[in-house]
Amino acid sequence: MKMGRTLLIRLSAVLVILILSVVLFFIGKSHTVLVDNKTVTVEGREIAPLKLVEVSVSKQGALELTPRDRDKFEVTGQKHRVTVTYTDDAWNERTITRSFTVPLMQDMVMVLVPALVAHPEGDQALWLENYEAPTYAVTMSESDEVVTDDMAGLITGI
Amino acid sequence: MNGAAVVSWGKRFVRSFGLPRIIIALFLLSLFILAPFAGVNVGTSLSDTLNRFGMNAIMVLAMVPMIHSGCGLNFGLPLGIIAGLLGATISLQVNIPGPASFFLAILFCTPFALILGWGYGALLNRVKGGEMMIATYVGFSSVAFMCIMWLLLPFNNPTMVWGFSGRGLRTTISVEGYYLHVLNDFLSIQLTKHLVIPTGMLLFFAFFAFIIWAFLHTKTGTAMTAVGSNPVFARASGINVDRIRTLSVVMSTWLGAVGILVYQQSFGFIQLYMGPFYMALPAVSAILIGGASVNKASILNVIIGTFLFQGIVTMTPSVMNSMIHTDMSEVIRIVVSNGMILYALTRKTEAAR
Amino acid sequence: MTLNATKGQKLLRFLANNTVPILFLIICAFGIPLSGYSANYLVSEIIIRLVRNSFLIVSLLIPILAGMGLNFGMTLGAMAGQIGLIFISDWGIVGIPGMVLAMIISTPISMFLGWLCGKILNMAKGREMVTSYIIGFFMNGIYQLVVLYGMGAVIPIRSKSLVLPRGYGIRNTVNLIGIRKSLDNLLMIRILGIPIPVATFILIALLCLFVLWFKKTKLGQDMRAVGQDMEVARAAGIPVEHTRILSIVISTVLAGYGMIIYLQNIGTLNTYNSHMQIGMFSVAALLVGGATVAKANIRNVFLGVILFHLMFIVSPMAGKNLIGQAQLGEYFRVFVSYGVITISLVLYEMRKKREQAEAGLSLAAAQEVEA
Repeated sequence: MKMGRTLLIRLSAVLVILILSVVLFFIGKSHTVLVDNKTVTVEGREIAPLKLVEVSVSKQGALELTPRDRDKFEVTGQKHRVTVTYTDDAWNERTITRSFTVPLMQDMVMVLVPALVAHPEGDQALWLENYEAPTYAVTMSESDEVVTDDMAGLITGI
Repeated sequence: MNGAAVVSWGKRFVRSFGLPRIIIALFLLSLFILAPFAGVNVGTSLSDTLNRFGMNAIMVLAMVPMIHSGCGLNFGLPLGIIAGLLGATISLQVNIPGPASFFLAILFCTPFALILGWGYGALLNRVKGGEMMIATYVGFSSVAFMCIMWLLLPFNNPTMVWGFSGRGLRTTISVEGYYLHVLNDFLSIQLTKHLVIPTGMLLFFAFFAFIIWAFLHTKTGTAMTAVGSNPVFARASGINVDRIRTLSVVMSTWLGAVGILVYQQSFGFIQLYMGPFYMALPAVSAILIGGASVNKASILNVIIGTFLFQGIVTMTPSVMNSMIHTDMSEVIRIVVSNGMILYALTRKTEAAR
Repeated sequence: MTLNATKGQKLLRFLANNTVPILFLIICAFGIPLSGYSANYLVSEIIIRLVRNSFLIVSLLIPILAGMGLNFGMTLGAMAGQIGLIFISDWGIVGIPGMVLAMIISTPISMFLGWLCGKILNMAKGREMVTSYIIGFFMNGIYQLVVLYGMGAVIPIRSKSLVLPRGYGIRNTVNLIGIRKSLDNLLMIRILGIPIPVATFILIALLCLFVLWFKKTKLGQDMRAVGQDMEVARAAGIPVEHTRILSIVISTVLAGYGMIIYLQNIGTLNTYNSHMQIGMFSVAALLVGGATVAKANIRNVFLGVILFHLMFIVSPMAGKNLIGQAQLGEYFRVFVSYGVITISLVLYEMRKKREQAEAGLSLAAAQEVEA
C-alpha cells in the first residue's frame, strides 16, 4: 500500500515536470517577427507601402519604417500584439492594434505592414506570412574544424 | 563429447586473458582483415604499427617496475618524460650532430631521472595507498613547472629558441641533423615497397626488455615483486620496503626518460611545454590491454599491449575512414584506452590491496 | 605560561590546517600590486567568478561527506548540462524558461550518468578519486560519440547554425545568445559601480541552504556515517552502496545545473572542451579554499573561489610586469593550481596514515592495559 503511494507521488512529480517543460517550451520559444513596409499583393490587388509608419510588437519600443524598410523584433511565446501607427491621406493619425499567433516551431514570421493597414479587420493570413531565412544567411561556415583536444587542461584562461 | 571440455577450456582462457583483451584483439584482427577491402595497404599499416610499437614500447615498459613494487600504475610518467626532455635539450645545446647526440641525450637525462625519480619515490612512500591520484598530479605539476623553465632556462642553440626574441625554447624542436631516425634506420629491413621493419628500434626495445626481465629475476628484482605482492611479509623478511619502492620509481622514471628519446628519434620532434601532459594515459592503457593489472605486469604484457594499442591507433583511422567515410578513430581510442583503465581499476581481486 | 603555550599551539594548528589558503593569500598579496589592477576591477572580476563557479563547486561537497573524495566525475554532470543547452539552443528556447528547460533535460541524463559512476566507484573502493577521474575521460569519449556523430544524424537537430557543414555533429562553439546572462540580468544591482547579479546569488544561497539542510537529514547523516567507516555503517544497517551511489547522483545533477549557470554567464559553449576543464578548476578552487579530501564546507567554497581566481586573474599581468612575459604568468598559475592539488592530496594521505598509526597504537595500548 505504502509502496503504491510512493510510486504514485513519484509518477505525478514526473508528470508535473513534464507539463512544466511543455509550458516552458511554449513560453520560452523565441521567434523573430520581421516587420516589412514594401509593395505587397493581396488578393490580386497591389498595395503601396506607407510613407512613414511606426510599428511595435508587444511591449517593445516602436520602430519607424520608411518605404521598403524592414526591421525585426525578437519575441518569446506565441501570442503577440502588433501596433501600427500611421497618418492616413486626410492627415489623421490612426492606430491599428491586432494580436496574432506565431506557429510554435516557426522561427521567423513577417508582418506585411501595408497589407495590415489595408485590411485592419482582415484575416491574420492576409498580413502575416511565415518566413524562412535564405540558406546562405544560415550556413555561416567560419570555423568548422572540430577541436576535441583533451590537452587543453588548465592552460586556457577562464 | 569433447564439447564440454572445449567450453570449459574456452572459459578458462577467457578468464585468464580477460574478455576486454579478447574483444580488442579480435577488433584489431578484423581491422587487418578488412584493410585490403577498404583499399588500405596492409604493408603500410603493419609498418606503421611496428614503428609506433617501437616508439612507445619503452614508455610502456616504464610501467613495469612500479607495478611490481606495488606503487600501482605510473600516472606520473610525465616526470620521466621531463627528464628525457631535459636530456634531449641539453644534448642539442651541446650541439654534437649525428647519432652521438642520441647517446649524449641518454647520458644527460640520467642524472635528472635519478634525482627526480628519487624525490618522486620518496613522496610516493609517504602516501602508500593513494599513489595513483598523487602520481597524476605530480605529473601535471611537473609539466606545468617545466613550462616555466622552458621559457627561462638559458638555452641558446638557434634551432631550439624562438627566432625573434632569441629566448625561450620553441614548442616543437626538430631533431633533424641530430638523432632523427638513428634507431629506425639502424639495420632497417625493407621487406616490400611498403613494409619496412625498424630493426634498430625494435632491438633497442628488446635490449631494455631483456634487462628488465633479467633484473626482475635477480635478488633485488624478486624482492621488488615481494614488496608489491605482500609488503608486510616483505618487511618481516628483512626487506627495506621503502628503498625497494624508491628504486622501482627511479627505474620507471629513467625508462620514461629513455622512452621519450626513442619516441623523438622516430617522430622527429621534441615536444615541449604541454606536450608530455597526457602521455601517461596511452602507456597505462597499453600495458593494461596487454593483460597487466594494477599489481601484476610482465614483459609479455608490455609487448602484447603496446602492439594491440598502437595497432588500433594506427588502423582505425585509415580503415574507418575508407569504410564509412567518418573518422571515429579518436572516439574509439578514448573509449578503448580509458575503458581499459577503468576495467583494471575496478577488478575486485586487486581492490583488496 | 601554559596559556601562552596553548595559544602558540593553537596558532600552529591553525597554520597547519590552513596551509594552502595562507600560501595563496601570500601569492595574491605579492601578485596584486605587481599586476597593477585596480581594486574596483578585481572586485568586479571576483564577483563574476563567484557567480560562475560557486554552484559547480558546491556540487563537490556531498561526495566528500560520503567519504568518496573529490568527485572528478562532476564532468559527467557538466556534459549533461551541455547536452541540455545544445537542445534548447536548437529549439530556440530563450531566457529563464530556456535555462530551466535545459536543467530539466539535463536532470535524467545526470541521474543516469551519476548512477553509472556510483556503480563503478562502488567497484573501486579505496581509489574512488583516480577512478572518477578516468570515468570523466571515458565518458568524454561517449559524449563525443553522441554529440559529434550522433547529433544531426540519429538525434534530430533542426538548426543549421549548430550543425557542422558535413551535416551531422555539433560545431566547435555553440552561441548561447538566447540565455546569455539571462539569470544574471534578472536582478542586477550596482554597488559603487560594481554590478552584482543578485538573482544568481540568491540561487547559490538557496543551494547552500539545501546542502546545510541535507547534512542534517537522515540521508545526510547516513552519508556521514558511511564516510567515516563503511563497515560500521553497514553494521548499523545503512545500505552503504546505495548511499554512496545517491551521493554521486546528487553531485552529478547539481554539477549539471552548475554548468548551465556557468555557461549562461560565459555566453558561449565550447562543445568539446568546456566540460573537461571544469572538473580541474572546481577541484583546485575547493582545495585552495582549505578543504581536504575528507572535509569540506561552504566556507571553503567561497574562500576558494576568491583566492584561486584572484591568483588566476592577476598572475598573467604580474608575470608580464615582472619578467615581461604574460605567458610566464599563465604557466605559473597552471603550476600553482596543480601544485596545490598535489600538496593537498599528499597532506591528506599523510594525515590518514598518521591517524591510522595512532589508532593502531592506542588500540595496542588499550589491549595492553586490559591484559
